[in-house]
Amino acid sequence: MLLPEPIQKLINAFERLPGIGPKSASRLAFFLLRAEASFSDDLAEALTDLKNKVSFCEECFNITMAGRKLCEVCESPERDDDVICIVEEALDVLALERTGGYFGKYHVLHGVLSPIEGIGPEDIKIGPLVERVKKGEIKEIIMATNPSMEGDTTALYIQQLLEPYNLRITRLARGLPVGGDLEYADQNTLLRALSGRQEMD
Amino acid sequence: MYLKHISLTNFRNFTRLDLDFPRRVIVLVGSNAQGKTSLLEAVYYMAAFTSFQTHSDRQLVNFLAAREARKQVVVGRLVIDYQRAKSDHRLEARLIMEPSGVNGMRLRKEVLVDEVKRPLHDSIGKFNAVIFVPQMSQILEGSPEERRRYLNLTISQTNPAYVRTLSEYNQALSQRNALLKALNDRRSGASASNGGNAQQLGVWDEALARLGAKIILWRIQAVQEIERLAARIHHELTRGKEVLRLSYQPAYDPLPKPQGQLGLEMDTPVDRSGLELEDIREGFIESLTRLRKEEIARGMTTIGPHRDELRFLANSVDLGHYGSRGQIRTALLAVKMAEVHWMKEHTGEWPLILLDEVMAELDLERRADLIKYLGESEQVLFTTTDLNLFPAEFAAKAVIWDLKDGNVSRRKAKG
Ligand SMILES: Nc1ncnc2c1ncn2[C@@H]1O[C@H](COP(=O)(O)OP(=O)(O)OP(=O)(O)O)[C@@H](O)[C@H]1O
Ligand SMILES: [Mg+2]
Ligand SMILES: [Zn+2]
Repeated sequence: MLLPEPIQKLINAFERLPGIGPKSASRLAFFLLRAEASFSDDLAEALTDLKNKVSFCEECFNITMAGRKLCEVCESPERDDDVICIVEEALDVLALERTGGYFGKYHVLHGVLSPIEGIGPEDIKIGPLVERVKKGEIKEIIMATNPSMEGDTTALYIQQLLEPYNLRITRLARGLPVGGDLEYADQNTLLRALSGRQEMD
Repeated sequence: MYLKHISLTNFRNFTRLDLDFPRRVIVLVGSNAQGKTSLLEAVYYMAAFTSFQTHSDRQLVNFLAAREARKQVVVGRLVIDYQRAKSDHRLEARLIMEPSGVNGMRLRKEVLVDEVKRPLHDSIGKFNAVIFVPQMSQILEGSPEERRRYLNLTISQTNPAYVRTLSEYNQALSQRNALLKALNDRRSGASASNGGNAQQLGVWDEALARLGAKIILWRIQAVQEIERLAARIHHELTRGKEVLRLSYQPAYDPLPKPQGQLGLEMDTPVDRSGLELEDIREGFIESLTRLRKEEIARGMTTIGPHRDELRFLANSVDLGHYGSRGQIRTALLAVKMAEVHWMKEHTGEWPLILLDEVMAELDLERRADLIKYLGESEQVLFTTTDLNLFPAEFAAKAVIWDLKDGNVSRRKAKG
């Protein structure tokens, strides 16, 4: 028996999500089929809102409410303008904000270099970073990409690109578990990594 | 170090096996297809977390259980209790086959060190074993890949950082190859934007060289140390008639070759012991830069540890090409015994020694030699179809196990 098209379509959509296999996808789809209509309505609304009401900060590409140009961090007058912390994902901003120990600004790359996936420098937010640096206000860049081979390589690429601008470029200290993601590191580990950051050479 | 207990579930032909190990020499006797090799494979698996005979963990899970459990989860489980540095430890490996897709099964591997789940690279080398199987003459005679695998499995057991560095190196290699291929496609106009931007090649060179240099250095050191030990044993085995050499030939060779000596003759020993990590790394990058055009044209990385070679020579003759059967067996025996001592030097503990049907392959003199070399170690597990291959006084002192249909019974001492 073939599945009715709407169910199959939903299963296919779920399967494209990270970490979801065919089995979980079907389970989710059938769960929704059985669930009350209000549940699907809420979910559908949340999904449309995600795209309609959330957007990315024009300065640092962190998430922000739709209609706003800048994110909370970029807008805040309290934050240092001369330090930028470079992270892979917006979730990493959240993790660093939770520590309460960082007072500069951010730059969210939305990925790392990965030729296997066809992701080159143009595909992540490296160009806009250089533009920010060119304005001349920034004095220090903190590389907070994940401590993975790709994270290190991306950090190195950015460092080489920024060499002409005479900045202090540092990398989070190695307290982080290698291969682990920033977003999962606990607050104390992150704080230690931040305060123990070292010059990249 | 020694093994105290092994417990297997759905591993090869063992649906269930629980076995206490004495701290002795054990001879496992059984006719064909009873599971002798499988038991050695299981023990070795706990040292390397990969089989010595297959790349596919699926083949290790009992196929009857896998077939019966269609559409359900089947777990192949290996648990060992062992003693190391006077304290007790436990290792567990789970080979989890679970349904995926419409009709497929996928395999997931979990490893627990002292009951805590750990990543693979933190688990290899907790328990050490050296395995010797006659088919391992492939290390000398087979493809270079066999020798790289041999080096990797051996070094991993004494150097936990090697495992992770190697896996990162392979990742960097795949990334760099993808980029070279994208650059090649772009050059030939096949596709426009696919992440192939030549500017980034430099950082991938650096990643490859940073990781590759460590591997090269560790391989230089390991080969040198194993060669020293193996040559001594080999000298004794051949009653001084032959000199064994292990010639490591890195595909990126950090040794500056003197002008006019580009094609070094293989029987010229090369001493790489003075090389420093930083020199290797820098030289590696330089070579990659020099080869850049060619590598883009070929769309792949042409130098580095993934292409290394290791040759075995006796009296300057390459055994892989010209060795007689006997010469190869003797060299392999020397290398394996050297491995045992090498691990002892590095870890301070004797590895468990696993020998699958080796007696049948050796003449009487070599059997006596082997037994002599094993004398020093802590725990040895032999398998054989025929106990008569062992000298009587040796067999009398060993623990004899009979294996039949997946069950092991200890033979009572005679008299
Ligand atoms: N995944 C598996 N599930 C069930 N049985 C298996 C599996 N893999 C191998 N076997 C079977 O296990 C049996 C034991 O194999 P093993 O190689 O351990 O035997 P052996 O005692 O070493 O024999 P020989 O003396 O011929 O070398 C064989 O019959 C083999 O077909
Ligand atoms: Mg066998
Ligand atoms: Zn912002």
